[in-house]
Amino acid sequence: MFLVPLLNLGFGFPLRVSAAVSLATVIATSSSVSAERAQENLINLRLGTLLEVATVAGSLLGGVSAHLFAESTLQRLFGAVAIAVAIAVFSRVNRRNVILDPAAAPGRWGGVFVDAEHGAPVTYQVKRIPVALIGSFLAGNVSSLLGIGGGIIKVPVLNAWCGVPLRAAAATSAFMIGVTATGGAIIYYGRGDLPPLLAAPAVIGVQLGSWAGLRWADRATARALKILLVIVLLGVAALMFTRSLQS
Amino acid sequence: MTSRDRRFELAVSRVLGLGVTAASLCLAAGLVAALAGSAGAVSSGLLAAGLLILMATPAARIVVAAVAYARGREWLFAGLTLVVLAELVASVVAAIQGR
Repeated sequence: MFLVPLLNLGFGFPLRVSAAVSLATVIATSSSVSAERAQENLINLRLGTLLEVATVAGSLLGGVSAHLFAESTLQRLFGAVAIAVAIAVFSRVNRRNVILDPAAAPGRWGGVFVDAEHGAPVTYQVKRIPVALIGSFLAGNVSSLLGIGGGIIKVPVLNAWCGVPLRAAAATSAFMIGVTATGGAIIYYGRGDLPPLLAAPAVIGVQLGSWAGLRWADRATARALKILLVIVLLGVAALMFTRSLQS
Repeated sequence: MTSRDRRFELAVSRVLGLGVTAASLCLAAGLVAALAGSAGAVSSGLLAAGLLILMATPAARIVVAAVAYARGREWLFAGLTLVVLAELVASVVAAIQGR
């Protein structure tokens, strides 16, 4: 979410190229996060597999149509999404979706995982699958057009409307976006919009950055981080809107 | 959590982890080669390899998943993963046509 403005507004690369490089980093992040042991129980493989059909379709549509949009349109879209993210972060989407009754069944799409808070296996059921599918398609579309992960849309949809606990929603979304970003990245690469010499430091840098971020995450309070995030996102939105007027 | 699910998840994590590591190493090597001045076949080859491995990683994970689902006779999910794989193939086709 920050690499694209940095490359586009900061260094002057076209938004297509910035999006493509960002997608490459999303693939790396998604894959390395999902490979972690702690994620294994949280990722809902069944739900993820189903929703991937929709989200990759969305990302194909986005990738193929990306070059048809004017730079300024994409910048405005980016600004709008940044604001939406800021609102979502600010409202702290975190509905309690866990079912504590040990006899509850997860159903076909639900899941069971050991919740750190309760220290015991908890269950959840997934509702409104069509909503999840539509949300995933849109997330994939936006992901390809703007070069973001798409989790921004998927996590709130899964958590607020589909009954998935926040950590499971986040883990499943992180898992899905790897494939989503791949669809888009392949198309950008084919069109020559993914310069390897730019992608390499970006991918390596983001990997190192997230490793470093994990080490220092405990120091800052969650609240302070959220406020910082909201401020930065609003700043990015403002810059994007201003630049779109000049493009 | 059946042991089959467990093994499946481990296979998925391993594929993802290996892919990212291999891709990162190639990209790093390519970057070093390019910065060291020997821009040309070596560095661009390494960089291209790194990117291709990176993009192939989630696809490889899909293939592993499809095989695992088929072995477990979970046809719905095997089918779903194959649809996703088909979509990725479509993106490759679109990419080649875009050149």
